[in-house]
Amino acid sequence: MKLENGHVSERALMFSVFCFMQGTMLRAAFIVAITKNDSWAMAFTGLVFSLLLIVIYVALFRRYPQKNLFEINESIFGPIFGKLISVLYLFFFLSLAALNTHDLGDFVVGHMMPGTPLTAVILLFMLVCVYAIRKGIENLLRLSTVLAIIGVGAVVINSGLILKDVQINFLKPLFQLPLEKYIQGTVTITAIPMGEIVAFAMIVPMLDKNKSAGKALAKGLVLSAIFLAFIMLRDIVTLGPLITIVGLPSYESVRYINVAGVLTRMESIYAIILISLFMFKVGILLYASVLGLAQLLNFKSYPPLIRICGASIFFYALIVFEAVMENVDWGATTAPFFSLTFEFALPTFSLVAAVIKKAVTPQEAEG
Amino acid sequence: MKKRKAKAPKHDLIRKTNRFPQFAKRATSLILCIGIILSFSSCWSRRELNTLAIVLATAFDTTTQPEMLQVTAQVVKPGQIKASSSASGGEATQKAYTNIKSIDKSVISAYAKITRMNNRTMYFSHNRIIILSRELAEKGISEEVDSFTRNNETRLNVYLLVSEGKASDILNEEFDLESIPANHIAEMIENQKINSETAITTLRDFDIAMLSDSTTPLVPIIKIYETDGKNDAKLEGTAVFKDGKMIGEFNVSQTRGLLWVTGKAHQGVETVQTDWGQVDLRFSHSQGSFKIVKNEDGSTGIRIKIDARGCIDSNATEEDISTVQNLEKLEKKAEEYIRGDVEDAIKQAKALSADVFGFGEAIRRDYPKDWEKMKGNWDKEFLMLEPEIEITVSLTCTGGIGKPIVPGGAE
Repeated sequence: MKLENGHVSERALMFSVFCFMQGTMLRAAFIVAITKNDSWAMAFTGLVFSLLLIVIYVALFRRYPQKNLFEINESIFGPIFGKLISVLYLFFFLSLAALNTHDLGDFVVGHMMPGTPLTAVILLFMLVCVYAIRKGIENLLRLSTVLAIIGVGAVVINSGLILKDVQINFLKPLFQLPLEKYIQGTVTITAIPMGEIVAFAMIVPMLDKNKSAGKALAKGLVLSAIFLAFIMLRDIVTLGPLITIVGLPSYESVRYINVAGVLTRMESIYAIILISLFMFKVGILLYASVLGLAQLLNFKSYPPLIRICGASIFFYALIVFEAVMENVDWGATTAPFFSLTFEFALPTFSLVAAVIKKAVTPQEAEG
Repeated sequence: MKKRKAKAPKHDLIRKTNRFPQFAKRATSLILCIGIILSFSSCWSRRELNTLAIVLATAFDTTTQPEMLQVTAQVVKPGQIKASSSASGGEATQKAYTNIKSIDKSVISAYAKITRMNNRTMYFSHNRIIILSRELAEKGISEEVDSFTRNNETRLNVYLLVSEGKASDILNEEFDLESIPANHIAEMIENQKINSETAITTLRDFDIAMLSDSTTPLVPIIKIYETDGKNDAKLEGTAVFKDGKMIGEFNVSQTRGLLWVTGKAHQGVETVQTDWGQVDLRFSHSQGSFKIVKNEDGSTGIRIKIDARGCIDSNATEEDISTVQNLEKLEKKAEEYIRGDVEDAIKQAKALSADVFGFGEAIRRDYPKDWEKMKGNWDKEFLMLEPEIEITVSLTCTGGIGKPIVPGGAE
């Protein structure tokens, strides 16, 4: 029984990973609070650990080709226990979608439209996401190339315009913080934007049989890491020590642009791109939860569940945090452990179980 | 059996949708369309142009009651800008701006009070300058800086000024060339790059300096002077802040020295008294910087390096100074002038015990381990610093003419 008949090219998958991550990366405050002016380096240390995660995922994909995460769970743990684990993943995807939706709402209400209630913003946003997934995940994935080009283009242009106001000195002193800060930074960046790539385990089976999922995911991650480092470098040299106290460093540095009194107020461009990237990210997470839910309930097709999942994400996003401060506190203290449970612990557990299972019953493993 | 069913999911789906009546589907999409159109107009918390009071400048003053604060907002009158520019001379036109004043305990409460006096709401995105009276600056301006950095309408590239006397008076001045004082002052500040005698400071610069352990924020001073029985405003000198309070000032030549050291002086004019008379030099593409150096005994020192390039801009003497020997003499003389400014600036900084140059910050960046040791008594360490000053002046051109224009100069 196959729920999804779409196809995705390797390149589209790579750009999807890139776009998926940019949404979070443009709001890098949570990482800057930890490692300050060395945050850009965390993009690379985080990358190393995220590539390790990909190795785990790819090992799973290799053992169970053409199967998505939920199907793999059932193959390894059997119908009942496998479904139990899948429910955990479903909870994770829904939570991530809700958290990101809430972040978007906070951004729009906090910086662009202070008078509009959060509910209205989130509702409209969810409608767009639901619409996008109803029209097919394939289209959304193909859109990623365009979105990535626009996103990169805007950031590069914005960085060019701010060039006259930067001070390279703000990068110094290099690497003077205590070691545990760097470890904390690496863990955070691995867990929060990069490890969330686990949602793509629901999409990978759409790739053609002979194509390598690991390569596409890794390439996407490397691109994101380079880009993230670039954004953080720009924010650090623009804002200096101010970066640690502003809520949205990228937003503030784009706001500072003023070329000849004409090219100013560029933050609206930043806002549009951020919102599109968020749409992409929540769209992917919504798709992952919808497909997972359809699988859990043994549905023949998944579209009827899209609106239900969308609605639950909407209400989840409304109640998840009451204040921005709670959100920040969650991001700094709890989120890495919460995320790593699903991004690292559970997949590793699955992989170990799969290896043991194969060793015990060598003939039936592929059945 | 099971497999057969699974093979035809498409068929299933079509039958399902057919059960949903056609008209209901159309009605839903129509409602959705209307909903989307309504929300795209974004009129939830709309603020139309004619309900906004666009603030171009803000001034803060102390009042007779010690805990109260006076806020003055310069609001533009859009209709009058057009009227005043189209009206031919002689006609009495209204001012293109109005100054709204409010007194209360804090910045925010004073602004909140304004809404009870006006039909329009304040809009700060176009605020270009913030003027603080000297009296207030000496009491501390942390609150003003915080609220303007925190607010999501205000921008970090607003210029800061300290006024000699009342800040609101500056906003009341009439200027001949510009109908709105705020624009006049903001554009005046932007012009200061030409002569490098004003330490231009935006809110971002102030915040960054304030967050530092050692660097003291600097803000240019604006004062009112009288010419031809009429008041006018000018920029003169720099206010030095420490711990959020103004502790002293740099005069014009000290400010120039300061800008040479911090590398912000690129252009400027220097009038030099030579043995023959007065010569004006115009600097451009000049560069100043300082570096932290390690002495042999392990202590840290500062090396200031200034590379001034310029041309002769006027020659009031009868001597032909375009000869190589005379140019060399002139370069020496100019070097002395710059050195004088720089030494003056360092002396004043030490007198105020204020690290205006950011020496401490540079040590923190380049030698973080040493900084950890010096941090505690930086105020004392700063006084002991004896920077080496290295100045090279190169005069590369003499303008459009070589020899001076003097009576009987032609051969």
